[in-house]
Amino acid sequence: MPSIDMRAVFCPASLVALLLAAGGAAAAPRTFGPEYAGSSVCQTCHEDISKALLKSPHNTVETGKSKDWKEHSCESCHGAGAKHAESAGITDITRPTDKTCLSCHLNQPTKAGRIQSTHAKNAVSCSGCHKVHESGGTALVARKPAAVNAQCESCHITVKAEFAKPFRHKVPENAMTCVDCHNPHGSARTAMSQSFAANEPGCVGCHSDKRGPFTFEHGPVRFDGCATCHESHGSTNPRMLARAEARQVCLECHANLPAQRAATAVMGVVPAAFHDLRSARYQNCTVCHQKVHGSFIDRNLLR
Amino acid sequence: MRTLLFLVVAATLTGQEPKVPPASPVPASEPRISGTIDAGYRSRTDVGGSFETWRSVVNLGSGPKLFGADFTIISPGHKLFDAIHVRGYDWGGDPYSTFHLDAAKQGVYHFNADYRGSRYFNNLPSFADPLIARGIYLDEQSRDLRRRISGFNLDLRPGHRVAPFLGYDRAADSGHTVTVFQTDGNDYALPGELADSSNLFRGGIHITGDRYHATLEQGGTSFRSDESTFSRLANAGNSPTPILGQTLGLTTLLRATGVRGSGVYSRAIFTVSPLHWLDLSASFLFAQPKNEVNYSQADTGSFVLLRQLLFYSGQQSVLAATAKMPHTAANLAFEARPMSRLRLLESWSTDRLHSAGSTAGRGTLLAPGSATNFTSALTSALATNRSQVETNAIFDLTRSLTVRGGHRYVWGMAYDTTLPPEGLITVARTVLHQHVALGSVTLRRGSRLWVTGEIEAASSGGGYYRTSLYDYRRVRLQGRYQLSKTVQLHANYRLLSNENPLGGTGYYLLGHQESMALAWTPAGRKWNFDGAYEHCGYQSRIGYRIPQTLATSVSVYRENCHTVSGMLHAEFAQVKLTAGGSLVTTSGTRPTAWYQPAIKIDGPVRKRVGWFGEWRYYGFGETFSRYENFRAHLITLGLRFSI
Repeated sequence: MPSIDMRAVFCPASLVALLLAAGGAAAAPRTFGPEYAGSSVCQTCHEDISKALLKSPHNTVETGKSKDWKEHSCESCHGAGAKHAESAGITDITRPTDKTCLSCHLNQPTKAGRIQSTHAKNAVSCSGCHKVHESGGTALVARKPAAVNAQCESCHITVKAEFAKPFRHKVPENAMTCVDCHNPHGSARTAMSQSFAANEPGCVGCHSDKRGPFTFEHGPVRFDGCATCHESHGSTNPRMLARAEARQVCLECHANLPAQRAATAVMGVVPAAFHDLRSARYQNCTVCHQKVHGSFIDRNLLR
Repeated sequence: MRTLLFLVVAATLTGQEPKVPPASPVPASEPRISGTIDAGYRSRTDVGGSFETWRSVVNLGSGPKLFGADFTIISPGHKLFDAIHVRGYDWGGDPYSTFHLDAAKQGVYHFNADYRGSRYFNNLPSFADPLIARGIYLDEQSRDLRRRISGFNLDLRPGHRVAPFLGYDRAADSGHTVTVFQTDGNDYALPGELADSSNLFRGGIHITGDRYHATLEQGGTSFRSDESTFSRLANAGNSPTPILGQTLGLTTLLRATGVRGSGVYSRAIFTVSPLHWLDLSASFLFAQPKNEVNYSQADTGSFVLLRQLLFYSGQQSVLAATAKMPHTAANLAFEARPMSRLRLLESWSTDRLHSAGSTAGRGTLLAPGSATNFTSALTSALATNRSQVETNAIFDLTRSLTVRGGHRYVWGMAYDTTLPPEGLITVARTVLHQHVALGSVTLRRGSRLWVTGEIEAASSGGGYYRTSLYDYRRVRLQGRYQLSKTVQLHANYRLLSNENPLGGTGYYLLGHQESMALAWTPAGRKWNFDGAYEHCGYQSRIGYRIPQTLATSVSVYRENCHTVSGMLHAEFAQVKLTAGGSLVTTSGTRPTAWYQPAIKIDGPVRKRVGWFGEWRYYGFGETFSRYENFRAHLITLGLRFSI
């Protein structure tokens, strides 16, 4: 009798089934006590906000299509509002925080890297970027490139200044947005950066010729990333280099003698002695070593 | 059967409501379209100075343009879609054109398509060539490429418990380059052609419950790259100096590289909140791209093989190579809230990348009266296993003051080798150990004041490269203050200092940026102003030895920059004026000045038609590379049509 491989039983399909089963049966409709006022009461004073909310994606809360707050969408974020409706006092109503938003939006694909993100660690509020009370499908989340970039720049003004430099990604021209490279909700990668094909740097999504794998890799590209040599926002140096000339970038790693390398235990091969830096020909590393991101055919990255 | 059919049809006809003529000539079910189109003509003055640098940096030209089109189509009936958003910018020969389409029907689907086309021209003589001012031209790396990037995503049943998704992304380059054919003793600049493309197909499923979420995704990639160089013109090369009395030169060359690649990847992401005070997240990512390479080369001329002092007149060679890179990454994190004021964040992650390659080649060196055959076989391996664990405790001291403290430990190993060894190149292997102390303070006073300060201080016991982050300090301060109802101030400060004190390295890096921004919106006035100023300073020093003399030297890089930007917005009699721009000046290793002032005016013509005009100036200057300076004016006139 053939034996059953139990590893095969625990396949992704069974995992999916388990997750679906964990969802459980639908709960009974919610009942609201007298401490709740209902959205119609809120609307009497906050008419503009109420109208705008109905045009936003959050109208599904009001209509009861998502979550169990039918006709109480205001109180789903601001807490029970009957007392506030009577007193009109600001202290009688809850001011939502990021925790309020995450009570519904936590378990979503975009929040997978939230715990590692700088925004979460520094308690950047959701409403800093998302205008919950504004109307229209695109008001809640900025969609147009100019609006997305303006939103990020409103806090990251040093980054905005970097983009004012001549050699840059075309963000000021709105041909790109900040979220093309960064995930504002968080990422396990450095600088909350986006990824390509699961776990590769987001840079290779556009710069696909740099993706590899190369037969002869250039280690820093894999180990320390593009920012080893490039200022990814903008630079006054050609090709957004971190140094004024390519040779300066190269020599910072490729100038240690074997004895030094043993002492410092770092990588970086030694240039051969015929590289006479007094000669113009050798002051221009990339004239010969053209494939600095990695070569498919040459160990010295010459072609 | 016919009787049954008759009864069904009869019942259907009987049940129909009498037709009611539409109350409006435009039925309510007709889609509503709103949006704008900006079209016009841009005129550029002659570029003063280096046209090549202009094309490398700005590259805007004259001609009729579609500056922007932005539409929203709303379907009142919500049959096929709820809304479609379409926008496109900068069409008509501009170096970057974009198109975006977004269509959705709530709970049924969400589709978006994105296209970006860019023209990438780069020919900067000063790039890597410090001696061009003396008439020595060695910059043979220039590119004139067209890059097209597109992406399509379809989410089905968004918002439902089970939501499948599909996606396709493509990036492609094609164009001309100037490349180099490198040989012993000389190198030759030659024109080349290149074309590469990358495709990514993916599909998966989101499963979302009240307390959990899972994304399971499977994808595949394909890659192709073709590069070719062909020359029939005699080329003396960069080094016309004879070697042992023999002048080197290239007569003909045919060289081609073809790469074909594929790969698969898997992604699994989980988040779950098992308890009201505990959130967990985990991810597992795996990718394995691989490439197959074919290379051929045939050249004639006068060459030398310095190692054997062999002069030869031609070479024919072919080479096949392969490379693969299994890459696994995983992370696990949790956030616990044991008390209402306390949050504990813990994360662990690992990244394991192992690349392996091999080549096999053979060829023939043709010398007068003889032919020498050769073969080559190499294997290469590069690997890194890098992991980190980080703990943060966040405590709300008061309602407005939050403090955070934490620790990160990073460890790993890496090696990089090509066998058999050549010269001084041997197996490189190193380890990484780094402890990082973390801390931050956040102060909030309602919506009027927000200040956050963050610090990282690291101490390392090993690093991958001399310039890698070793013993470093990173400080970041950000603040926002509502000075009055009409004035808001922002201030930022960032600092990074990094030292590698180990023998022979002597690496020191200090970078800092200070910036301040002002937004002024006077009440009751029809104008407002926003402006920013930033100062930055970078300084790096690193010791090295000059290869041919072994003398010790220090490589120094310095940059001090000032960036000023501002924009005044005003409105007079339905005419809107926007004036401002940015100015960047740097001093240090590469002093540069970069001006971009602009004035834009727009006003109405008729109810749904407006006009606009813009003047823009670009001025670029480099103190040490004046041959790259340029300046140009752009004048734009156009009409805006509103629907």
